[in-house]
Amino acid sequence: MNANEVAQLIKRYADDVKIVGARQVFAVTDKERYIEALTALRDNDLKHLTTITGVDRGENIDVIYHIHCGESLLNLKLSIPKTLLEIETVTDIFPGATLYERELMEMLGVQVKGHPDPRRLFLPDDWPAGKFPLRKEAKK
Amino acid sequence: MTFIVPIGPQHPALEEPAHFRIEVKGEEIVGVDLRLGYNHKGIEQALSDRSYAHGLYLSARVCGICNSTHSLAFTRAVESVAGIECPDRARYIRVIDAELERIHSHLLWAGVAAHEIGFTTLFMLFWRDRELSLDMRELLFGQRIYASGTYLGGARVDIKEKDIPQLIRTLDKLEKSVKHYIDVCTSDRTIIARCSGVGILKKKDALELCAVGPTARASGVDLDIRRDDPYAAYGEIPFDVIVEQDGDVLAKVVVRLREILESIEIIRQAIDAMPKGAIRAKFPENVPENEAVGRTEAPRGELMYYVRSNGTNKPERVRIRTPSYANWPSAKPMLVGGTIADIPIVVASIDPCFSCTDRVTIIDTETGKSRIVTKEELRRLRK
Repeated sequence: MNANEVAQLIKRYADDVKIVGARQVFAVTDKERYIEALTALRDNDLKHLTTITGVDRGENIDVIYHIHCGESLLNLKLSIPKTLLEIETVTDIFPGATLYERELMEMLGVQVKGHPDPRRLFLPDDWPAGKFPLRKEAKK
Repeated sequence: MTFIVPIGPQHPALEEPAHFRIEVKGEEIVGVDLRLGYNHKGIEQALSDRSYAHGLYLSARVCGICNSTHSLAFTRAVESVAGIECPDRARYIRVIDAELERIHSHLLWAGVAAHEIGFTTLFMLFWRDRELSLDMRELLFGQRIYASGTYLGGARVDIKEKDIPQLIRTLDKLEKSVKHYIDVCTSDRTIIARCSGVGILKKKDALELCAVGPTARASGVDLDIRRDDPYAAYGEIPFDVIVEQDGDVLAKVVVRLREILESIEIIRQAIDAMPKGAIRAKFPENVPENEAVGRTEAPRGELMYYVRSNGTNKPERVRIRTPSYANWPSAKPMLVGGTIADIPIVVASIDPCFSCTDRVTIIDTETGKSRIVTKEELRRLRK
């Protein structure tokens, strides 16, 4: 699917859709629509979730789903406030998301509800609870 | 009743420590659990504490084998956030660098795979010929392993005209050997007995678990970033994406060996088509606020860098998704249903790095449950 087709498809579920460099689509979605958006992508035979990125933006944490769409790459961003760091799991839509969501939980403290195996992934067993290494406050 | 066989995390022959807990019923594997993180170096955080120029070198050190493609993916993302185009000659130098890396990585893997099935002669032969590709990296880029020919805005070194005849002669020699190895691997009784029909990853599982690279392509998934999202000069060089349908270990061997032949052909075309001119564009000190993704096809599959810049000379966030990380979930369907004796070759077939000693795992024979004892607990027990 090329970038224009992906942009057309995602328009219903996201705002601020822009195509960068002919092959990359960036879009911003919200908590109400992101599960619907990802399901729609899967149903259109886009089954390859490249990864999930978490970015600490101060007040919010951006969760970016990178989906490989054949000729293009969709970067679907979901911004969630630090006061309510909760998202639903997408492992039922993309089973390959298991490890990425576990990393998101331990590195940035985003709670992924409904995850089948919410153990730590990379951090050691004696790492203190509630300390998230990729948060901005962890740098101090 | 089932038993747990712990494998890992340390293994002197392979580079990435991972710990497997294999649940077995007699000889048959019924479940697999995985522990990662023994080698977590915190590079994502370290990259955002360093300038882009320093980050380039750090990104190359994420993985020794894949250093060229790591610095290329990092550069690709950073050049996108900065809005820099690299000169044409440099794009071809990057292709030659990346393909030489693929050749040496695939031959390294083939040697390890031969070693895992006890075929030491073949292991020696693969590694003998891998030396040829390492010599070429040294000739062109000055280093056998850490060649990393990419620089921000272009290439680190230029390819000299006088080195090209030797490169071509070596490629011819390599091509001849690899063709012979493909014949050997598809006809030798030992290899077929150990690899054919073993560790099968079905196409459905490969798609669902988002497998990448040769692991996915050996299961019939047609995915190659060089073609899907062309970078460097790949858009101008025609090549075939090698796909096999069987999904077993043998298919993964064949995919990788045939990919070496493609890589040799790509390098030949790149040498012919390489224009003359500058090799580097100026890279600004500070990069405006932006975000971008840079992907490359590493020898093990799709490699992704996400870079977010904030107007300074350091990135705000760098996210790295390496191909082996994406392929771990696929290890489970490949192992379940197989036997203990096949674990080394099946795990090696996704070209990660696995290990064979462990911390102590205790199995409660009444409940069948097991737990890992930490070093601290062991110390307490000793007292």
